[in-house]
Amino acid sequence: MKQVRYKLRQRLAFGLTLACALPVAADSVDKGAEIYRSACKGCHEVSIAPSLEGVVGRRVASVTNFADYSEALQANSDKHWTPEELNRFLEAPRDYIPGTLMMQTVPDPQERAALIAYLTTLGTEPAALDITAPVSGIDQPVTVAVRRLNESQYRNTISDIFGADIEVKARFEPERREEGLQAVGNSDLSMTSAGFEQYFGLAQRIAAQALDETRRETTVPCSVPANEAAARACAADFVNGYGEQLFRRPLSEQERNSRLALVPEVSAGEDAFHQGLELALTSLLAAPEFLFRVETAEPDPDNEGHLRLDGYSRAARLSFLFWNTAPDEELLRAAASGELFNAAGLENQVQRLAGSPRFEQGVRAFFYDLMQLDGFDNLIKDPEIYPKFNQVVADSSREQMLKTLVGLLVTDDRDYRDIFVSNDTYINRSLAAVYKVPYTSDADWTEYTFPDELERTGLLSQIGFLSLFAHPGTSSPTRRGIKLHEIFMCEPTPDPPADVDFSKVKDSKAGTVRGRLLDHMENTGCVACHRRSDPPGLALEHFDGLGQLRKFENGQLIDVSATLNGADFVGASGLGELLHDDERIPACLVRNVYAYSAGRVPDEALSPFLSSSVAAFAEDGYRLPGLMQRMAVSEDFFHVVVPSGAGASDQVAASQ
Amino acid sequence: MTKKFSRRSILRGTVGGAAVGVGLPLLDLFLNDNATALASGAATPVRFGTYFWGLGLTDTPAGGTRWVPQKQGPGYEITPELVAFESLKDKVSVFSGFRAIPEGRANLVHWSGHASILSGVAPTASGSFDDASFDTKVADALGGATRYRTVDIDASLSRAPVSYSTRSGKTFASPEVNPLGLYTRLFGAGFQDPNSDNWQPDPALMLRQSVLSAVKEQRQALMSQVGQADRIKLDQYFTSVRDAENQLAVQLQKPERREACSPPSKPDELPRGASVDVVNANTRMMAKLLAMGLACDQTRVFNFVHTSGASETYMAGHSKIYHQITHDEPTDAKLGYQPETSRLAEQVMEGFGAFLEELNAIPEGAGTLLDNTLVMAFSDTGYAKIHSIDNIPMFLAGGAGGAHRAGQHIHLPGEPVTRVSLTAMQLVGAPVGDFGQGSMKTARPVSEVMA
Repeated sequence: MKQVRYKLRQRLAFGLTLACALPVAADSVDKGAEIYRSACKGCHEVSIAPSLEGVVGRRVASVTNFADYSEALQANSDKHWTPEELNRFLEAPRDYIPGTLMMQTVPDPQERAALIAYLTTLGTEPAALDITAPVSGIDQPVTVAVRRLNESQYRNTISDIFGADIEVKARFEPERREEGLQAVGNSDLSMTSAGFEQYFGLAQRIAAQALDETRRETTVPCSVPANEAAARACAADFVNGYGEQLFRRPLSEQERNSRLALVPEVSAGEDAFHQGLELALTSLLAAPEFLFRVETAEPDPDNEGHLRLDGYSRAARLSFLFWNTAPDEELLRAAASGELFNAAGLENQVQRLAGSPRFEQGVRAFFYDLMQLDGFDNLIKDPEIYPKFNQVVADSSREQMLKTLVGLLVTDDRDYRDIFVSNDTYINRSLAAVYKVPYTSDADWTEYTFPDELERTGLLSQIGFLSLFAHPGTSSPTRRGIKLHEIFMCEPTPDPPADVDFSKVKDSKAGTVRGRLLDHMENTGCVACHRRSDPPGLALEHFDGLGQLRKFENGQLIDVSATLNGADFVGASGLGELLHDDERIPACLVRNVYAYSAGRVPDEALSPFLSSSVAAFAEDGYRLPGLMQRMAVSEDFFHVVVPSGAGASDQVAASQ
Repeated sequence: MTKKFSRRSILRGTVGGAAVGVGLPLLDLFLNDNATALASGAATPVRFGTYFWGLGLTDTPAGGTRWVPQKQGPGYEITPELVAFESLKDKVSVFSGFRAIPEGRANLVHWSGHASILSGVAPTASGSFDDASFDTKVADALGGATRYRTVDIDASLSRAPVSYSTRSGKTFASPEVNPLGLYTRLFGAGFQDPNSDNWQPDPALMLRQSVLSAVKEQRQALMSQVGQADRIKLDQYFTSVRDAENQLAVQLQKPERREACSPPSKPDELPRGASVDVVNANTRMMAKLLAMGLACDQTRVFNFVHTSGASETYMAGHSKIYHQITHDEPTDAKLGYQPETSRLAEQVMEGFGAFLEELNAIPEGAGTLLDNTLVMAFSDTGYAKIHSIDNIPMFLAGGAGGAHRAGQHIHLPGEPVTRVSLTAMQLVGAPVGDFGQGSMKTARPVSEVMA
């Protein structure tokens, strides 16, 4: 690492001596990297703006796979981005090249120099640091992730272990979405005092229910022991058994003994004994080893110097991905036996998990997170504007999205891309009222295919997506477009720059929203993002803020034609076809299956794995169950990244 | 520091320096002759809290200020957007001109402003802070003796709970979001009436302590093999466990009498909605419960969110949300400001007025609960239309137990917002000598407001 940095400095010094203009200390590369992350990356690492790899010295407007250069930049394509040129440009881009869509400015000369110094390093480095390289010196297990259990995982685990009728009533800690997924955000989260208070109260109530007189017989593995030895054995079985299920691995001796200490001697009486078991169980339920998914890596005996994710961490990854719950007895057995380290054993378990009816529960949890369906919990619509909206409608539209996805992708095992073009769905009575279609079934839910004239083609035309990504009193083409890019293409949209000039944005209370958004398009500070975010949303403008079909807004006919990346399309069905053929979409799903399971976005080292997964996905007709199974049996799926400072004997710390 | 309760002073009929007659409420008889402490010798505690609202106040480049008073120092005049706390203005200091300094980092819209105020450093990414929020430092200094070290409230009725209080910079507090939740936390199971005559420790509390001990025993084993980021997470988890232990320990002691404490009844459900009138009603109900929670000494530190940064509140029946209006509405050439935006700002400030009124409604000692509290109120932006983080409106309200020389307007253009944060910390006696990083690092509180 130090050596790399040293070389880099040399090259920098060289490049900048030639440039002769910018008095920059090489240390400022770090400062430049920070500026890049906060001001540049948001656009230049997604399709809004061209990649900056190799930008220094490159001809202006010359990135071949970027088609959206402004005319102004194209007119300057005889120039090169020398450090001097970049320096002048970044100082005030829209003054230097009027008409450019570049919206950031870096007015401070030192910050500019730092940024250019950093840009010089981009794309010239051979694939950075090889994180898969042997991590010498780590000869003991290390913790590689601590991920907070989410609410549904918690509920499913409790229900599986103690019974579905155990009441789990508490306010769970709020989750946090990062890189589009709560699963990734949760990897960063800890537990606040108010949160622990809730989990602790919950632990007490669950333990009390589990050891209630009516249930005691099934919860406790033995009848009331006659003597002290039998009592100790019974208590140990109890703590070991529930401990292993809750911690998703066997307890250490210390972990067991600290709980056994809570169980009094049998002479204290039957009630005291059971109360002791209850305290022991409470303590397991309040423990960090239960409330967080602690993932451990261990030295790989077959590959000296490397670490591998240990058996129990693998079992938990699989179980949460396929079933959204803690590993069952069979999976824990496989983890203990070492079967999850060989291809055949892994495949057996993956097939078992994917073949179970519980697989649906796992797929639902994945899409719940991916589609941001938690948003329905507190969705607000103004009752004067949308009188049909209520919590039943909110819950039903969420359920409709999940049922549609599971029906198409699991039950019918269809092409993933069909979610954008299929009219097949499920409805219930309250949804039928909002969709204005007849409901003739006696059942709570029924299969339904929208007739074409209702314009309900694909998941994006369901009131779930449409109402979730809108305002309390209006639709929002921008929000819908942003979410569509984020969820299906893994392309987040950066916040608008703080100094954006709103003066051209008129207050259009009349007419359609298109007019207001076209104002953005005239504003160079806005257009780079809005020309990407708005068109899909404009195609969905036949649906209001609740997702009800309409043709007029403020008395004007709504135009739902749009253009995105040079392609023209009309309405929800046109948008659906466009998305169906967008190559970024299957690749994004592959990335998200990994990120969801691992709790972090894939790093550079996993690129080949992701590419081959995308290829196999295509070959298999884009079927989701197959994709998940193929990914989960790959060794790369359990790829280990050692967090900084972990497992460090002094020697390792020094070499890092 | 406090004089012993003097029987003679009662016999003389003098309390708090004033002659009293028959019929004096009992509570005053328990005060020492400075009326600042309970007769038992326990000082009336000083409380601290933050109050946040979204989208700033109106002070346009065109010169149309709707909130910055002309007059500086004591006796400032009430401007249109400050009308909501007019009746309490002698208890509120106004801070104008203070700014957040991003220092090469992007001004992250609706985030950098309050992140700077709370953490003392401009954040690198939206959604997280680069340091702990300072209320946690105050909570560590003031909050140990009460059942809750701190209570977090979000009255905004937003899609997701909003809190800007964080120890790690990533995990934010999980706030109470409705009156019933707040009531349950403060006065539900586990609440011990400090004025009850037949207090008895609950033996079940000791059993719970033993459960937590077993949890804590594993700390060493768990920490031995983790990286830095995971260590921070687990540290916070164990801090939370310690808070739970502290809660049990507090509950095992007989609480000090609190004469102002009179446990409220269970609140009703509010209508669903997030329009500004509903948010204000929610704010008042939750403020009332919080005030009683403070009077009953369930906590001494709180964080209260009225609306979030890019506030989604709106006028009932209007299709555009406040946030959108701040950006879209043109500046009226004659008025020099955006009239609809300013009207919304006035309404949003009504929430703050209601909040202060509820704290001021509870008599305590010679004054009110508000006199023994310091509330630091602030927003995410100055002029929201352009996401300005200059001139972010900030207020210090309440007497801080006599430490705050309230009722002043302090106008210091260009000074870092961290000076106000530092002032707040020092006014309530948190042991903090400086605050902030880089250009926002400061060791200079605003001494004008310190008694």
